[in-house]
Amino acid sequence: MIDVIASEWMKLRSLRSNLYLLAGSAAAVLACAGIAFMIARGFDSQTPDERMAFPGNGDGVGNGIAVAYFVFAVLGALAITSEYGTGMIRTSLAAVPRRPVLLLAKVPGLAVVALVAGQVLAFAMHAASMAVLGDRAGQVLRDGATLGTPLSEPGVPASVVAAGLSMAAVTLIGLGVGAAVRSTPGALVVLAVLIVVLPTAVRTLPMPLRAQAGSFMIENLPLQIAGAGGGTLPPASAAGLLVAYVVAALTAGTVVISPVGHRVRMLVVGVVVAVLVSAVPAVAAAPSGSGSTLSWGDCEGENLVREMRCASIEVPVNWAEPAGRTIELTVGLLPATGAQRRIGTVFAIPGGPGGSGVADLSASAGSFAELRGRFDVVSFEPRNTVDKGVLPYDCLITGPWIGLPGSRAEYAALGRRNRAAAERCRAADPEFFDHLDSASVARDIEAVRVALGEERLSFIATSYGGVPAIAYSRLFPARVRAMVFDGAANPYQDRARGRLPHEESFARFAAWCTADTACALHGRDAGAVWRALVARADRTPVPVAGEGVAYSGFDLKQAAAPSVISPGPAPEFPRWTELAEAIARADGGDASGFADYVRRSAKSPKVPAFVGMSMTHCLDGLGFRDYDEYRARRRAGERLLPNLAGIELWHPLACVGWPAPATNPPAPLPAGELPPYLGVGSWTDFDGTADLVRRVPGSAAVQYQGYGHGLYNSGVSCVVAHVNRYLISLRLPAPGTACRAAAS
Amino acid sequence: MAGGLVRRQPDHVDSKGATVIEVRGLTIRYGGTLAVDDLTFTVKPGSVTGFLGPNGAGKSSTMRAVLGLETPDAGEALVNGRPYTDLRRPLRTMGALLDAAAVHGGRTARAHLGWLARSNGIGAGRVAQVLEQAGLAGVADRRIGGFSLGMKQRLGIAAALLGDPAVLMFDEPLNGLDPEGIRWLRGLLRSLADEGRTVLLSSHLMNEMALTADHVVVIGRGRLIADAAMHALAAHFRGDVLVRTPRPDQLAGVLRAHGAAVVREDDGGLSVRDLDAAEIGELALAAGIALAELSPRGASLEEAFLRLTGDSTEHRSGGR
Repeated sequence: MIDVIASEWMKLRSLRSNLYLLAGSAAAVLACAGIAFMIARGFDSQTPDERMAFPGNGDGVGNGIAVAYFVFAVLGALAITSEYGTGMIRTSLAAVPRRPVLLLAKVPGLAVVALVAGQVLAFAMHAASMAVLGDRAGQVLRDGATLGTPLSEPGVPASVVAAGLSMAAVTLIGLGVGAAVRSTPGALVVLAVLIVVLPTAVRTLPMPLRAQAGSFMIENLPLQIAGAGGGTLPPASAAGLLVAYVVAALTAGTVVISPVGHRVRMLVVGVVVAVLVSAVPAVAAAPSGSGSTLSWGDCEGENLVREMRCASIEVPVNWAEPAGRTIELTVGLLPATGAQRRIGTVFAIPGGPGGSGVADLSASAGSFAELRGRFDVVSFEPRNTVDKGVLPYDCLITGPWIGLPGSRAEYAALGRRNRAAAERCRAADPEFFDHLDSASVARDIEAVRVALGEERLSFIATSYGGVPAIAYSRLFPARVRAMVFDGAANPYQDRARGRLPHEESFARFAAWCTADTACALHGRDAGAVWRALVARADRTPVPVAGEGVAYSGFDLKQAAAPSVISPGPAPEFPRWTELAEAIARADGGDASGFADYVRRSAKSPKVPAFVGMSMTHCLDGLGFRDYDEYRARRRAGERLLPNLAGIELWHPLACVGWPAPATNPPAPLPAGELPPYLGVGSWTDFDGTADLVRRVPGSAAVQYQGYGHGLYNSGVSCVVAHVNRYLISLRLPAPGTACRAAAS
Repeated sequence: MAGGLVRRQPDHVDSKGATVIEVRGLTIRYGGTLAVDDLTFTVKPGSVTGFLGPNGAGKSSTMRAVLGLETPDAGEALVNGRPYTDLRRPLRTMGALLDAAAVHGGRTARAHLGWLARSNGIGAGRVAQVLEQAGLAGVADRRIGGFSLGMKQRLGIAAALLGDPAVLMFDEPLNGLDPEGIRWLRGLLRSLADEGRTVLLSSHLMNEMALTADHVVVIGRGRLIADAAMHALAAHFRGDVLVRTPRPDQLAGVLRAHGAAVVREDDGGLSVRDLDAAEIGELALAAGIALAELSPRGASLEEAFLRLTGDSTEHRSGGR
């Protein structure tokens, strides 16, 4: 056998045409460079946001791999078909009468040549692609990849090596096909079908089928073997499949070349081996999880996106009594598209408190399009969703008006008002009302995880969703695969310090007024006008014309704050324009400019302290211990916030006198047990989020240099790109990474 | 008539135990056509055996069967008592040239012989030897694609010699050889046989074989027609000489006295056997008898061959 292998090696080596053929594989490098060049040209002509929607070029090998495969397959096929073509097969069989030996002795030599040449070629193809893309390669895309992936990225060396290996495999497939077909033109046709026609045909199939069938195409196996995308197969299965293809092709060749009497045995052996090498890894890699026990069906909400699936899950009202009374929660699912191997489930934790994650997920479904290539995206209507129906909705969406107590007596009076408002809502179901804290929400999420059959969950926690996310991190740290805080509430941070971004926004507002004639305060010092107005209003509230209410300085700040931090689209900044007009009118003695837009959103002439938010806030420990703490906080805030002092006290003041105890006060994160987190935030909510993720070692934060809140849900491309990259590959952006707001 | 020329051959190895090719009851069918029909013969060592038959008689099929390139429908072909395909390093037992064109034109002669040698564990030194022996040393590093048919034949013969085998088998080896090449090959075959090797070569030309082979196996339409020593075959089919003379009776007496068989023919001519024309002329001159005609008649070996196989080819043509 060794002699025959050596002899076949001499055959291979002694044909100059084989060398020319290998040299011809350089065409694959040219294909990679050419396609990378076209990508680069297209990329350069796009806006930054459009660039992020580009499909990634990956390791760049895929663009030319069909060319490489064809060359290698021809090399393999010619090793046997040229013998049939010239008649040399008779000389060969006279020298080596054991026919399967003759065929299989060609394998080692071809394999060695193809392994070496394949690696050289794959790395050359990669290098060519990356060289042509240049700096553009580092661009992070919405699908979580970079435009080009360098060897320094995990999975890329493996995918390039696997691409080279697959070329060796294709060489042997070519040999097997050649032996089975016995003619060079015939083998070329069969190989062209396998390598070019079939994958092209599969790409025209409708979506789930395209991904499923595409996963089995040879050209998509290297990425799957490296676990770097390419399809739905786990690495071991993809590797097994590649080997099985080789075994199948060589079996076909061996059966055909064997004397008639031996064919059945060859066929049986080959088929058994092929089935084993493909099935064993597939079975071993099959998910061991029990799978979801939720029964998904159509959603009831009429405004939800069509692909949303819903299920309900029963959880105890009081997690301390799991056997006690239960309630049903609605879980919403945007299923994975099946384009790629599914990684798991991303759970989107909604903000509020009181918002429905199902409605939010549906409204921002488009933002999750890329993520759904790899994940099921799940959210739910948390127990504290205001329209859940257990507690009267109308009661929850309103509440008492809050003032800044100037004395213990006023503080106590505020407590009585708050308590009365709370009790009105609580009466419908006191037990439920007392268990609306974020830790209970976190335990509900854990129940969903168990029902989904997931080992671990990945999260995007938006706004107040940060608080249940923190509770989940504390209660179930081992179940957290990845956590994104998007403008998340930070219960650890000093609340006044947390409003510093509002002051920065106010400064931008004032600067805008100085610069833009559209500002009603243009030509005046907007900051000075505002500060004088609120000081005056605190002494003598400014009446709202035609209403029986008057706005204190505190009321004005609370009404103005949302407009300060969200000016609306540049360059008109409609909400700043509106705010400036309201200030100018209030300065003239009429606060109705504020009341107009407060009424639009709050359906009340003044901003009320919504019971529906307080019922969770207060249980999460947002309130003050006592009057003294309130006083100290207030003074600290006044020192820190020249224009908007007091707004940080709003939610805590709503908890004064609350009838239910704080059951989920802030407590430290089990930092050592958690994976690195990612924080994203805008000008106004970045600081708190960044402070939050700093508490988990190895974490990173990305600032979006613009206004906004809930950036991922809003579909801010740069944020989506970094978040998807983290959720898919657990890779975090470099420190200091920032997203520039799209110029519009 | 031909039946008398077929030997009975009970053993696959001759009495000295030397290597032989043995074909036993070999039957090969292509579709509905019988290419080889219950063919049995043995090739013995120490002589050159010609394998004769018209084109399409089944010679190549039989030789392919010997090499295991054909799977017989019945019977077997053995080398040294075993199927060729059972040989571990077959080139060391048997060298064969079936088709000089069965080479890849892209390789050099040296590379072609190189892989062949390596496949049977034959040293590289042997490659140079056979190249020299086949007169290809000067073109050893040229690509085979540029070789003439004669050079390819020499390369094929070199390949057959590579393993220094005791058994050699050549299919139409003289094709494409120039007269010098033919002389060289005849000498080579003779010396191989003289070394005690078993040599089988096929041809469709009897004349050619007459000068080369010691023994012939003649087949037609896949069947054995004759299996005999060349001299026996030649004697069997030798023709007569027609002599006309004004004194037939005297001449007949002289010729008979010298061992000839003489028959008086109806038109007065003499049919003389066992003496050739030259001898008859000498004897007539010595006896002072004038000759009016002296013509050797018919029955060259070629004609003998045609007569032997004519029946089978006619039959074949008729069968179509």
